[in-house]
Amino acid sequence: MTRMYHHLPVDAYTSQDWFDREQRLIFSRTWRYAGLAEDVPEPGHFVSVQAGLNNIFIVMGRDHRLRAFHNICRHRGTQLIRAVGKTQKALTCPYHDWTYDLEGNLISVPDEAKEYPNGVDKSCLGLKPASVDIWRGMLFVHPDPNPPSLAEWLGAVDPLLGPHKPEELVEYPDARRSYEIKANWKIVVENYIDVYHLSHLHSNTLHMYDHARAEYGWKGPHYHFWEPPAPDYATNLEKNLPTPRVIPEPHIGAWVPMLFPGIGLGAGEDSWNIFIITPLGPDLTRVENRTKLANASGWEFQKQEWSSWSFWKDFGGPKYPDSDATGEDDPMASGDFTAEDIYACEQQQKSLTSPFFEVGPAANGESPVVRHQQAILDFLETQEAGT
Amino acid sequence: MNPDFFSLKVSEIRPEIKGKATSVTFDLPASLAKTLGWQAGQHVTLRFHLNEKEQRRSYSISNPPGAPLRITVKRVAGGLVSNHIGDHLKPGDTVDVMPPFGQFSLTPDPLKRRTHYFFGAGSGITPLFAMINAVLKEEPHSVAHLIYGNADGENIIFGEELDNLARDHAARFTLRHVLSAPSLWRWSSPWRKGRVDADAIKAAVMETPPVAQDVQYWICGPGAMNTEVNNALMALDVPANRIHAESFGGAAAPASSVTGIAANAKVDLGGATYEVPVAADQTLLNAILSAGLTPPFSCQSGVCGACKARLTNGRVHMHARMALEDSDVARGDILSCQSVATSDELSISFDK
Repeated sequence: MTRMYHHLPVDAYTSQDWFDREQRLIFSRTWRYAGLAEDVPEPGHFVSVQAGLNNIFIVMGRDHRLRAFHNICRHRGTQLIRAVGKTQKALTCPYHDWTYDLEGNLISVPDEAKEYPNGVDKSCLGLKPASVDIWRGMLFVHPDPNPPSLAEWLGAVDPLLGPHKPEELVEYPDARRSYEIKANWKIVVENYIDVYHLSHLHSNTLHMYDHARAEYGWKGPHYHFWEPPAPDYATNLEKNLPTPRVIPEPHIGAWVPMLFPGIGLGAGEDSWNIFIITPLGPDLTRVENRTKLANASGWEFQKQEWSSWSFWKDFGGPKYPDSDATGEDDPMASGDFTAEDIYACEQQQKSLTSPFFEVGPAANGESPVVRHQQAILDFLETQEAGT
Repeated sequence: MNPDFFSLKVSEIRPEIKGKATSVTFDLPASLAKTLGWQAGQHVTLRFHLNEKEQRRSYSISNPPGAPLRITVKRVAGGLVSNHIGDHLKPGDTVDVMPPFGQFSLTPDPLKRRTHYFFGAGSGITPLFAMINAVLKEEPHSVAHLIYGNADGENIIFGEELDNLARDHAARFTLRHVLSAPSLWRWSSPWRKGRVDADAIKAAVMETPPVAQDVQYWICGPGAMNTEVNNALMALDVPANRIHAESFGGAAAPASSVTGIAANAKVDLGGATYEVPVAADQTLLNAILSAGLTPPFSCQSGVCGACKARLTNGRVHMHARMALEDSDVARGDILSCQSVATSDELSISFDK
């Protein structure tokens, strides 16, 4: 009998087959995050991203419009460009110097007359186009040249994601992180959207927000979440914000949505953060974090730090007191909510292969976990029907 | 297209820019709403009988679909029909109108997410005004940028309406005026002085680069402006299928495929000067190679710049010039692999 974990078989979290299926049918068929808009700042700059099975690069033309292509030379398939960089006006494959212009047209085949005495029809050998767009200051790519627009894909959930204008904020480079979690990507998503755990796993790290008053729901496969500041924090909120405001008053609270598949945002009164989940294997997942803060002077930041110091100096701490910790590096004694989440995800993944694993009843605050499993099943079904 | 005329009653006449233009609104009976339906940017043909002759004129519809059928007509000096409309047409009159048509049209789509750049001058605003309104109303995820050229602040058709749109849709519509002769007392400073030319276009795109990446360019002005805007966009590598243009007065004459003429070229190469005959269908590089010389060259597609030479006399046309910056071209640099002669005497040098 198939062992189930709510709507999905436990296999969905451990097997290579499920991983391959999700790569093919989910991550290769949806809009994928590809960076922040400022990663491609000027004509000639490019960036490439692995999006499921596809490697797609984005390049800016002289008209300041972005183009996206599959990063595959039409000759022998060599990847044309490396991670990031700047070109002048053409892209040349390193292997045989086939050269493409920024519209993807093949414009030069070296020694063409000698190597291809019967001719080569360059007009049929342009780079395969993909799609690119910018939304909330983020780059998105889609492998299809004519996909449903981002308005179609995210339009319904967009109004529930907060009044932030990420394109007007400035990245805080020290907060940029990339790390691996030894758990299936869905475990990481489910942890992100589990409302029940906020007051427990993070009892001493995220209590500046009032989890009991959280409002959350779904628009298609996309999850939206908002919660207000807790009373202690809300009293003198303007004074207590650690950094200058990024949204106009009177907006308050934390918006923490999870867009499908695995695109988490976390935005509050004073910061905007992304949490990008990329499956690397059935039990290995990469998370990328980037943070943007107010476009304000060092002095503004200094003033806010001073004014909020009295709130934060005694705030939070380890979930377990030192006496219960297993050692100095025990995540449960870290006082860091990310370390707490990673720990919980990895401890959960470990049990999934046990023959004795049997999932318990889902709580109200875990309804998003179950709903996300349904979203996966629905998406897979639609895609399989389409192929 | 239905070739029949329909007799429509004028419901409103409104002078624009102090009577130098006239907006004419028609009553459209529900029974004709479908037959006389239109897309933003299309025009209608009107028929008048003036001076005992039939007169036909086409005017762009200056309202988006859903709003009343309205045209806006600028007076032409000595123009028979435009002045008749401005001086004599009144509410209650009937006018013969043909069903709207035209390729220059924008169909808004609520699920599309586009950046629309509009470049207009003078009464070229009329179809653009319909398009901008259509985008703001029916395409909520898209933005519109208008770069609008006029002589001075007194001659801006729909000036107030555009200001209102910019105020009401600050996040989705930007308005920039380019005035060639701004009067000092009224307009302290438009966005730019001069014309809607290559520099203005470059500046506009850099100031408000596209966010939504499905980018469309809409041009409506006199023929010369259309050609200039089109060339400026092509120079920025804008694909032709994203550029949509309509001109009024004077035809635009885009020369897409230029063939050369036979010429004699004086070629400085390696310290010596050679006389090289160039055939009409030959690039300079091929002519020089045929003459047995060995100039530098490589990709033969205009990419690498190896075949660069300096034109010191005569004229050429380059099919492509990817390897050259504008400043190189201004200095006289050419790509010999992409150049055909357009004057019968040329001098070029590979030694400079």
